[in-house]
Amino acid sequence: MIQINNLTKIYKLSAKQMQKLQTKKSKKIAVNGLSLEAHEGEIYGLLGPNGAGKTTTLRCVATLLKPTDGSIKVCGFDSVKEDTKVRDSLCFLTNEIKLDPNFSPEYMFDFFGRLHGLSESELASRKNELFTVFGITPFKDKKIMELSTGMKQKAAIAVSLVHDPKVVIFDEPTSGLDIITARSVTDYLKTLKERGKTVIISTHIMSEAEKLCDRIGVIIGGKKVCEGTLDEILAETKAADLEDAFFNLYSVHGEKQ
Amino acid sequence: MKNIKIIMGKELKRVFGDKKLIFSLFILPAILVIGIYSIMGMMISNVSSDIEEHKSRVYIVNASDSVKSIIDANGFSKVADIAYYTEDDFNKNADVIHNEILEETADLFVYFDKDMETKIAAYKNQGDEIPVMKYGYNKTSNYSGAAYSNFNEMVKNPYQQKLLAERLGNIELLNVFTTEEENIVKEAKANAEFISQLLPYMIVMLLFAGAMSIGVDAIAGEKERGTLASMLISPVKRSDIVWGKLFSLMILTGISSIIYSGSMIVAMPMMAQMNGEGMGSMFGGVSFGIVQVIELVAIMLALVFLFVSVIALLATYAKDTKTAQTYVSPCYIVVIVAGMLTMFSAGGEIAIEKYAIPIYGNALVIRDICTSEVVLEKFGASLIGTLLIGIICVVAMIKAFNSEKIMFNA
Ligand SMILES: Nc1ncnc2c1ncn2[C@@H]1O[C@H](COP(=O)(O)OP(=O)(O)OP(=O)(O)O)[C@@H](O)[C@H]1O
Ligand SMILES: [Mg+2]
Repeated sequence: MIQINNLTKIYKLSAKQMQKLQTKKSKKIAVNGLSLEAHEGEIYGLLGPNGAGKTTTLRCVATLLKPTDGSIKVCGFDSVKEDTKVRDSLCFLTNEIKLDPNFSPEYMFDFFGRLHGLSESELASRKNELFTVFGITPFKDKKIMELSTGMKQKAAIAVSLVHDPKVVIFDEPTSGLDIITARSVTDYLKTLKERGKTVIISTHIMSEAEKLCDRIGVIIGGKKVCEGTLDEILAETKAADLEDAFFNLYSVHGEKQ
Repeated sequence: MKNIKIIMGKELKRVFGDKKLIFSLFILPAILVIGIYSIMGMMISNVSSDIEEHKSRVYIVNASDSVKSIIDANGFSKVADIAYYTEDDFNKNADVIHNEILEETADLFVYFDKDMETKIAAYKNQGDEIPVMKYGYNKTSNYSGAAYSNFNEMVKNPYQQKLLAERLGNIELLNVFTTEEENIVKEAKANAEFISQLLPYMIVMLLFAGAMSIGVDAIAGEKERGTLASMLISPVKRSDIVWGKLFSLMILTGISSIIYSGSMIVAMPMMAQMNGEGMGSMFGGVSFGIVQVIELVAIMLALVFLFVSVIALLATYAKDTKTAQTYVSPCYIVVIVAGMLTMFSAGGEIAIEKYAIPIYGNALVIRDICTSEVVLEKFGASLIGTLLIGIICVVAMIKAFNSEKIMFNA
C-alpha cells in the first residue's frame, strides 16, 4: 500500500539550469501538495502531460528523493525515516535507471537477488518464473549492451522484480516496446495485481490507462486535478473517452501554467 | 559485510571479465613502460657510440715537432682528421675556420703561440713573457666537446707535463704533498642515494595513475550511465556500496601498481645494459630486509587507500566522467609535486609533524626505508596521517551518496 500525503517537491535550480530553462526563478515546484492512495490488489495509473511531475512523484515514493513537504508511507514505512525497509518492499523501474551494460541479464538478476538477501533456491525459482514470462532465457547470457531496447527493458523489468516486492512502481513501463512485448508486460502487471501487489504506473498512453488501471489520477502542473475509476472520470468530465477527458481537464487546469 | 563482498565481486568481475579492459589497464601500461625505457636506453647508447665513432675535424696552428710526435704517439691522429696550419695559413683562413666550427663541419681549432717553445725556454724570472695557447670549439655540439676533451687528455696534458719536466728536471717538485681520502658513510645510504630519491616519487606517481584510470569510471562513469542508481534503489546501505566500490578499487589499483613497478624493474636494467655501466649499479645498494618490506607495503597500502578515496570522492561529486577528469587532474599534479619535494629536501632532521602530511610524508618514509634510516614514530605518524585523511574522504563520500542533489542532480 502506498499513501502519499500532501507531497510537495521543489527542485533548486543551479545557475546553469536557470539559464537552460530561461527562467529567473531559482526554484521549480515539480509536485505541489499531491495526495493519493494506492491499495493492494490494485493498479493505480498516474496520467499527465510531459513535465507534470509523474516521475518526480514516483522517485519520492521510491526514496530516491526526499519530499520538500508532506510525507509518504509504503507498506506502513515512512519513506524518509525507514527508507531501507521501504526499498526492500518495493521495486522501481524508470528509464534513467539502467542495468550495467557490461553484464548479462542473468548476472544482474543474481547480483540484485543476492543484495536482497535471497537464498540460492529462491533465486533459482524466481529466475525460472520471470525469465520464462518475459522470454529472457534465449539471451540471458548475452551482455546487456548487445541487447535491443525491448530486450533491455524486459531484462530490467525481470531484474527489478527479483525480490517479489509487495509494491511495484513502474514509470512508463511500455515505452519503447512493441505491442507484443508491451502486452506481455501489462499482462504480467495484471498477474501481480491478482497476487495482491500494489502496482502504480505512470503513462501518457490513454489506451493503456483505460484498459489496465483500476483507478487513474490525472496530474497537471504537479497537482492532482482528477482521480477515480475510468467511469468516474468520464462522468466527472462529461467525456466519451479518456482522451477527451484528458483534453477537458487540460483546458481547465493546463492554462494556469 | 556480505553486501560489501557481493558488490566487490561485481566490480572485480567488471574488470576481469573484459579482455579489452584487462589489456588497457594492466598489459598496455607494462608494454609502454618497458617500451619507453628500452627506447630511451637505445637512444642514449646510440648517441654515445655515434660520438665515439665520429672522427673529429681539427685544425692545429703552429704545431711544433714535439707536439706532432705526441699527437701520433698518443693516438690523437687516429680519432681526428688533423689539418696542420702555419701562422700565415691561419691568418688567411681564420674566418672560414670560425664559421666551420659554428656550422659544426669542423670541431676544434688549437692555436699554439708562434714561438712557443723558444719563449718557454727563455723564461727565467717572474714577469717574463708566458706564451699563450688558444682553443676554439662549439660547446653546443657533442662532437666538438668530445674533440676538445680528447685533445686535452691526449695531447695538451702530456705536452705540458713534458715541458714542465724539462724545465724543472724533477716534476715531483710540483707535488708539495699528496692526499688520501676515505669516504665514511653508511654503505646502504651511499649506494641507495639515487634510488632513494627516485623511488618515492615513482611509487607515489604510479599508484595515483593507477587509481585514477579505474576510479573515475567506476563511480562517475556509472553515475553517467545511470547504473549507480540501480544500486541505490536496492535496500543495501549506502555505506556498503561505498566500501564495496573502494575495496575493489584498492585491489585493482594494487594490482596495477604491482604491474607498473614490475615492469620498471624489468625495464631499468635493460636501459642500463645498453648504456654500459652507470645505471647497472643503481639497484645494487638497496637491500630490503623483511621489516623494510613490511613497512614499504604498509605505506603503499595506506597510499592506495588515500588515493582511491580521494579520487572516488571527487568522482562522486562530478556528474560525468569528463567532469571527474577535470577534478582529478589537478590532484595528480599536486601528488607529483609532493612526491618530487623529497628529491629536493636537504639532508638533516625532518620534524615528525611533516611526516604526517599525506603523500609528502609517505614519500619521506619511502626514502628513509631505502636508506634504512626509518624511525618507527615517523613511520607511524605518516601512516596515521594518511589513513585519517582517507577516512575523512570516505565519510564525505558516504554523505554524498545519501545526498539527492549529488546523486540525482535534484
Ligand atoms: N533534477 C531536476 N532538477 C530540476 N528540475 C527538474 C529535475 N527533474 C525534473 N525537473 C522538473 O520538474 C518537472 C517535473 O518533471 P518530471 O520528470 O517529474 O515530469 P514527468 O511528469 O515525469 O514528465 P515526462 O512525462 O516527460 O516524463 C519538470 O518541469 C522538470 O523540468
Ligand atoms: Mg517522466
